[in-house]
Amino acid sequence: MLIGENSVGEFYSVAVANHYQQADTGTKMIHVGRNTRSTIVSKGISAGNAQNSYRGLVKILASADGARNHTQCDSLLMSDRCGAHTFPYIEVKNPTATAEHEATTSKISEDQLFYCLQRGLSQEDAVNMIVSGFCKNVFKELPMEFAVEAQNLLAVSLEGAVG
Amino acid sequence: MSSIGKGDLILEIADLAVDVQGQRILDGVNLAVRAGEVHAIMGPNGAGKSTLSQLLAGRSGYEVKRGTVRYLGEDLLTLPAEERARRGLFLGFQYPVEIPGVNNVYLLKAALNARRRQHGLPEVDAFDFLGLVRDKMRLMQIDESFLSRGVNEGFSGGEKKRNEILQMTILEPTLAILDETDSGLDIDALKVVAHGVNGLRREDRAVVLVTHYQRLLDHIVPDRVHVLVGGRILKSGDRDLALELERRGYDWVRQEATAA
Repeated sequence: MLIGENSVGEFYSVAVANHYQQADTGTKMIHVGRNTRSTIVSKGISAGNAQNSYRGLVKILASADGARNHTQCDSLLMSDRCGAHTFPYIEVKNPTATAEHEATTSKISEDQLFYCLQRGLSQEDAVNMIVSGFCKNVFKELPMEFAVEAQNLLAVSLEGAVG
Repeated sequence: MSSIGKGDLILEIADLAVDVQGQRILDGVNLAVRAGEVHAIMGPNGAGKSTLSQLLAGRSGYEVKRGTVRYLGEDLLTLPAEERARRGLFLGFQYPVEIPGVNNVYLLKAALNARRRQHGLPEVDAFDFLGLVRDKMRLMQIDESFLSRGVNEGFSGGEKKRNEILQMTILEPTLAILDETDSGLDIDALKVVAHGVNGLRREDRAVVLVTHYQRLLDHIVPDRVHVLVGGRILKSGDRDLALELERRGYDWVRQEATAA
């Protein structure tokens, strides 16, 4: 809830779904005050047979003059049996407000993997490197120690996940 | 690595036949590359040049039907791609791929360390490494901003190719295979690339240039030139053969071969 004038909300997330998991994650940003701003960056990684969904609500009330939201939703597919879905709900009641939504879906490519292998990286390291790159603009918002932890956790979650 | 001397066999391909999706692409390739040599493989589109380079580097999707490939005396085809790289086989890609968010220097450092580990060397010092990269970047006339950009991310065609050569000069491969590194380069970039390759020429290394055009060979003078047509090396010769191909095209090689 962004109530006070000029208040700012930020949401950064990385969601990983592997095996047969189904994930449905997201956030709400409710703009009440004037000139409130919010940013949402959501990265979804699907592996195995998993389905990963982003579901987010951006609500800008009539009172929120000049409110701004930017949402970026990127999905990475690690196999050809998984899926990614994006459900952005945007409700704008104020004509001076701006809401932007950007979404991309990409598949970890054979070319990227082979390129890394040809440079001598193991399959495992190559996958971790590509996935970390994909999550970079979320991880860079984290304190360093936590970013390292997050990266390691990601590596463990995706062990042997390409295929 | 240091045990390789001039004239030692680095790569030996014998009667190699390869299918891609059930179609015969290479059909009896023979080639021997020795330490200290630079070979050029020329041929028209669809002759199997890229298939040969990718197969040697260990890409999957190729079915070897016949023949053998030996690299430094070992059966190359049983080694996984990363193992080939660590043993000093480098492929300069025709279309280097972009890896968003992964820093150029980071990948390069991981690559160098993978190779050093193979030789029982410790990981490279971060400070020394950056110095090395900067030196080579100057040589390859690569802009400083390269250091902070993602792997090939938003690079022009020429920048990507220069990056391949930069990686090559840092990894110092025993066998470098350059797959049409010259295509899409203007004359200045071509000279920079040639300079990088010539700097790598040494008695214990070899280079295989895969190319359509003769013009690269004005700057990197090969010891041997081979013509790959229809999945076979139909003719081999010295530098003059490349000039003759430039003048006469590839058809006469085909005709000569069928007549013989």
